[in-house]
Amino acid sequence: MNLMLNILLNVIIAFLLGSLLFGLQRKVMARIQKRPGPPIIQHLLHTLKFYIKESSFPKTAAMPFYIAIASILCVIWVSAVIVGPVAQGSLLLIFAIYALHKIVEHNAGSSSGSPYGKLSCVRAVFSAAAEVPLFAVLIIIFLKTRTMVISDIIAYQAQNGALLFTIPLAALMFFVLILSKAPYSPFAITKGKDIISGYETEHFGLLRGYLMISESIAWYMLLWIFLTVFLGPLSLLGYLVGMVVISVIVAFINATTPMLNPNHSIMVQVTMAFIGIVGSIILLML
Amino acid sequence: MNETSYLLYLISFVLGSVVGLVLSYQKYKSPFAIDKIDVLALIIAIIGWFLIFNSPMLTFIPSYISIAIGLFLMAMVLGMRPGYGRYETLIGLVVGGIIWLLRMVLL
Repeated sequence: MNLMLNILLNVIIAFLLGSLLFGLQRKVMARIQKRPGPPIIQHLLHTLKFYIKESSFPKTAAMPFYIAIASILCVIWVSAVIVGPVAQGSLLLIFAIYALHKIVEHNAGSSSGSPYGKLSCVRAVFSAAAEVPLFAVLIIIFLKTRTMVISDIIAYQAQNGALLFTIPLAALMFFVLILSKAPYSPFAITKGKDIISGYETEHFGLLRGYLMISESIAWYMLLWIFLTVFLGPLSLLGYLVGMVVISVIVAFINATTPMLNPNHSIMVQVTMAFIGIVGSIILLML
Repeated sequence: MNETSYLLYLISFVLGSVVGLVLSYQKYKSPFAIDKIDVLALIIAIIGWFLIFNSPMLTFIPSYISIAIGLFLMAMVLGMRPGYGRYETLIGLVVGGIIWLLRMVLL
């Protein structure tokens, strides 16, 4: 297949499926809380809605940075789709994209000039200190498989079985990272309701649309990486089932867990990262 | 299933949900309160789930088309106004599943 067509196909799939999975999450959370909940398609409609809304810019915004940063977020997650499902390239690039995501989250908050955005920006730095160590799961994967290339990791698992069973603590670490990126998650401190919508508070119309598209693609990509790296070669149906299962599990956790305050959130994540790294290294040495 | 048919299924699901949502808001003016089964929605759900699970039974059309139609119909009921369509979806799923099971055992 033509490369550009392949990229386009995968990006649209990532956006549509990511949005539907977010919608499913809200539905499951609502049912747990004994509400009918919005339709599964709600998140997607919500995203598209912003493209026909008026785009207004706050007077306090740092132009043109304020506009550029929302577009950059979109670009970096499209890059993740190219590195992941399209090229099956290096996990190090995915790590770099995730680190960039944290920087963009920080800058989106600070560039709007809103006090809520600024608080979210501080929290983004705070949470990066905990989430980046969680992404250190890559080191454990490297120690186990001696490669960082996704296609090689898939080949390794095809021969030796899924990594989920050989390095379970690393999988747990990555799951905590996925959980951190879910809306209403106990670790979603950058978008806590105490700071309205966090770094997105002052983004309207088209810019909010960009942010929401990026979030949907980011969710799809994090689930894709988890399934690819820990469960090995999967069919498209396998990916779909896996993504639905993880999204439902995350919804259960989010519906039944209050949002932690920033200090507690960071401490829990850092503790999980510590247990994951040290535990996995001990398991590898045994 | 290749990526193109995967995208076709997703688009079909999304369109079905949109159509179901719009039509159900026209049909039902009040929020969901009474546990009553909508016969039309039930028929659509059963046909939809049947097509999703049992596409090989329809030999005269390619399976990716019958699955896409099935997803569209299933999503129409699943995507109805909040509260509506859930019993119909469940019954459709069970009926489609039973036919699939019988097909697997008997054929």
